[in-house]
Amino acid sequence: MTDQTRDVDGAVYRCEYCCRAFNREDWLALHRGLDHRAELTPEERAAYEDAEAVEQEALRMYQYKALAALVVLYFGFLMLFAFVRTV
Amino acid sequence: MGRWLHLPGAVVARLWHSCSRSTPTLVGRALAATAFVAVVAAGTTAAHGGGSGARGASVQVPLWLFLATGGGVVGASFLLTAFATDRGFVRRLHRPRHTIEVPGVEFLSGAVRTFGVMVLLFVIAVGVLGPDTPDRNAAVLVVWVTWWAGFTASAYLLGDLWPLVNPWRSLASILPSADRPYRWGGWPAVVGLLGLVWLEVVSPVASNPVLLVAVIVAYSGVTLAGAAWFGPIWFREADPVSRVFQAYGHVAPLYRDLSDGGIGARLPGSGLDDPVLDSADDVAFVVALLWVTSYDGLVATRPWRKLAETAIAAGTPPELLYPAVLVAGYVAFLGAFWLAASGGRRFANSRLDADLLARRYAPSLLAIAAGYHLAHYLGYLVMNVPAVMVTVTDPLSPGAVGVWPLPNWFGGVAVGAVLAGHLLAVWIAHAVAYELFPSRVQAIRSQYTLTAVIVAYTMTSLWIVTRPYAPTPFV
Repeated sequence: MTDQTRDVDGAVYRCEYCCRAFNREDWLALHRGLDHRAELTPEERAAYEDAEAVEQEALRMYQYKALAALVVLYFGFLMLFAFVRTV
Repeated sequence: MGRWLHLPGAVVARLWHSCSRSTPTLVGRALAATAFVAVVAAGTTAAHGGGSGARGASVQVPLWLFLATGGGVVGASFLLTAFATDRGFVRRLHRPRHTIEVPGVEFLSGAVRTFGVMVLLFVIAVGVLGPDTPDRNAAVLVVWVTWWAGFTASAYLLGDLWPLVNPWRSLASILPSADRPYRWGGWPAVVGLLGLVWLEVVSPVASNPVLLVAVIVAYSGVTLAGAAWFGPIWFREADPVSRVFQAYGHVAPLYRDLSDGGIGARLPGSGLDDPVLDSADDVAFVVALLWVTSYDGLVATRPWRKLAETAIAAGTPPELLYPAVLVAGYVAFLGAFWLAASGGRRFANSRLDADLLARRYAPSLLAIAAGYHLAHYLGYLVMNVPAVMVTVTDPLSPGAVGVWPLPNWFGGVAVGAVLAGHLLAVWIAHAVAYELFPSRVQAIRSQYTLTAVIVAYTMTSLWIVTRPYAPTPFV
């Protein structure tokens, strides 16, 4: 994510189900929801849903930027092809 | 490959040379805006050397714009993957579809094994007894056209049949085996692959049938000895030839389903997001495969010729130049891929090991290698079909050998195949990243460096396949 704030430098969030470590708490919450869906406690489920909402928002932002980059790329090439002297 | 075998490059070069010169039309410009079309159109004209015939309207663009457009297509496809965000969709697309039952599989595999051994004996006999001229000798044509161009293409377009066809495996299975423990992983295969490609480039193994037979006999000795000492693991780990087909087989739509022994069908390339590589030496082999395909093309270009002439004029012994560049290029490729993997780890702020990332992302390079192989060999294969038929049916005194002329648009196939391989690689990396990371934004960020490497590689490959052919110097 672009506004990446690492929680505390070096902090590790470890999954209690599979021991996989993450640098951010919301990534751990997402991981639990994706890979251990059947075993979640109600609190973990709520944390997953919150993290997913935040992720969705960040993804939407990223997609706007990707769209902007695609437009620049497309018209950039359009201009190049139109104006570059032909050999 | 040897002088004669440089034909694939020659085919491509001839195609560029035959394209027309015409002024760009408005329609041409509009088409050019659509990136894919632009690349194909530009590709057919980028390296032209003058017109013969005025068919087809195409856009004339300078080389840098052609290469930038190729890189731009791959970069744009990476941006587009950001919109494929449904994890379920990505997973469903990559799920195996069907299991195919093959009736009489025992009988068929026995027949194929026998056929493989017979082809080996045929090649050895005809190589020694047949005509000296390579383009009339069935052994040379069967090895380079049918096997190295055609069979290899079948490994990534259909499925890896080599474990069945492999005559050395069939022979080893009837010989006793000591089954000693084997502990070098894939490293002997990496060294073997680089060694075979070096031999192919510097020696006339592609134009001298007797030398070709000598190499095959030497390879048979090493392979059978290895299989007799270590058992069938030799073919899975150490034999470079088996590993090439095994690697390409991961790209293919048909595969051996290990769970039930049947044949599975999947979308082409969709097997590459599985964890198919176990360790660093497997990654090293995949990178070696990608590098040797480029090296093979590179040494048959004019810029290489100039570079080699300069280096040799400066006092570099020619015997040293080729292996040195082979090894140096390999190390550079390995380093670039390693930077891509560790850079991806950093961008994703992940705690996963960089080698895990390298192992999971490396299979996407196989799609690139397959696309490059197709670009390099498809025209060569099609052209030489009549020669193979004429020489195989009468190997000792073949009649007149002709080639099938390729249509002008065929050069676009090479550019299309290179691009398709890279686009598939970007998609594979996307699917792998989704499996590795819990956050989708994190997954996208993890691909930044790999995408940069793939874009750089697209441009390099397009540059090589559009160079006119120049004979490999000093070999």
